[in-house]
Amino acid sequence: MNRNNIWIHVGIAVVLITLAAVLGQIRLWETTLRSAITPSNETLRTVSTYSDRDKRSISSEPEVLVHFKPGVSLAQIKQIAARNNDLMDDNYEAVKGWVSIDDLDNADADATAKQYAAMSEFVDYAEPNYEIRLDPENSVGSKDANYRTGSGQPNDPRFAEQWALNNLGKNGGKELADIGALHAWTKTQGSEQVVVAVLDSGVDYTHEDLVANMWTRPDSVPEYNDEELGSFDDVHGFDADANADDPMDDNGHGTHCAGIIGAEGDNAKGVVGINWNVSIMPLKFLGRGGFGTTKNAIEAINYAIDRKQKGVNVRVINASWGSTQYSRALEDAIRAAGEQGILFVAAAGNNGTDNDKRAHYPSNYNLPNVISVAALDRTDSMASFSNFGVKTVHIAAPGREILSTWLGDAYREASGTSMAAPYVSGVAALILASEPNLSVAKLRERILGSVDKIPSLESKVASGGRLCAADAIGLRH
Amino acid sequence: MDFTKSDATAAAKHDLVNRLGVDHSVVEEISVTEKDFPDMSLGAPIDGEMSAQMISTGWEIKLGVESETYEYRADKYQLRLVDFDGQNFVIGN
Repeated sequence: MNRNNIWIHVGIAVVLITLAAVLGQIRLWETTLRSAITPSNETLRTVSTYSDRDKRSISSEPEVLVHFKPGVSLAQIKQIAARNNDLMDDNYEAVKGWVSIDDLDNADADATAKQYAAMSEFVDYAEPNYEIRLDPENSVGSKDANYRTGSGQPNDPRFAEQWALNNLGKNGGKELADIGALHAWTKTQGSEQVVVAVLDSGVDYTHEDLVANMWTRPDSVPEYNDEELGSFDDVHGFDADANADDPMDDNGHGTHCAGIIGAEGDNAKGVVGINWNVSIMPLKFLGRGGFGTTKNAIEAINYAIDRKQKGVNVRVINASWGSTQYSRALEDAIRAAGEQGILFVAAAGNNGTDNDKRAHYPSNYNLPNVISVAALDRTDSMASFSNFGVKTVHIAAPGREILSTWLGDAYREASGTSMAAPYVSGVAALILASEPNLSVAKLRERILGSVDKIPSLESKVASGGRLCAADAIGLRH
Repeated sequence: MDFTKSDATAAAKHDLVNRLGVDHSVVEEISVTEKDFPDMSLGAPIDGEMSAQMISTGWEIKLGVESETYEYRADKYQLRLVDFDGQNFVIGN
């Protein structure tokens, strides 16, 4: 034999051995990865690095992947499979030696893999081909599945109960029927520069999960002075119900809304708000019973406008209240807030009726800064109590069995369009955290133009969909 | 002071006696039922009132005088008379 030919053969052999070793190592890593995960739907959906080959198995029966040793021909592989009453299902040309085996006896995939692995004369490795189940909605919408488990989640202990932020389909829920918060948080978790006024029953500003995100009047802003009402040392906000400077909540409703918008995130306490960081300005006009006068609502809106004019960055007012009575004065006050760049987010009401036919205010005011919000349950269905209206209700958001903050460092679930509106307010604040100069018109347009379309909502709300935080802040999914 | 179910029922009877000018003995307690109401006005707002849009649990109190039925609604904060001569009334809170 020619000496040169020998070296050529040795060289080829080295290359082949190296290639085989590399491929073997890759498979070992993949095997390790697979053995480290539970083959449940939820977990598998989080593995985004699987190759196209893995995805090809989505619709097939359970099978086994076998890597035959070099030199074992395709004909031999077919014979081996036939002897075991198996079928060679696929031959992966791109990775020589790998074939998938379909066990015609429908034996356990693990057992079949062991059977092949035992043929050490022919086989390098054999393992079950774990099926990756893709939820049809996930594959269609390509939602933010990669963000739903693992790193990036807040450490708030009751986060798992907050289906509206991350719906894993538990407790009768539907997977992905949520606002896509985890994906959104990869871009921003909010900003204390954004002030959201919670116009309600006040807020328990000492609550352990809210205290860090409460607005306090900076020294640079003068005390509030109203020509008729007098002067107020408005450190924490304003109480229009009692004409006082202390907006402490004595009902709980406002505290619940505040927690949805901005319970402190990743603080190892309670729940997480849409905004981990934000400034919540409590405005109290609802009394201890949860009801109040239109006049006091207007006084509180005027306070927010005044603070904006004095330099406080109030960009959103959350209004989780209403009635069927029209008030021109209230409408004018909300319009004035809009002219100051303040979005006004209002609950659509809880009578289960059509707001196009029987108006509910303030949600029905046809103003460019008003968003009217209907409530959804954890299956993406409109809550039975929720008002709707394809002309007058703009968007739907989670509003049933919502866990949030309550008086006295407590937490509780509550239902209503009251709970749906703060999700929209919270997402508005999240958008403003990364785009602080967005006009109120653009902000409203962004929220309504980025919904997750839901067929059953097409005839119920103007946008035809559910609030989507991820899309709203510019993360397409 | 927060209402209990029995407090609210007693207050409703007292209101009806005064409102109708009848003797306490003619007021019949038809039913007192725990119920979810659509908002914090218990689904019975008065003029010029706004209420929190949260589903609220309370009591529906139905009282009878002769052949007429009168409906009150209550929770721990309030008592309301519903649709009396076409109007709702807040009795106390």
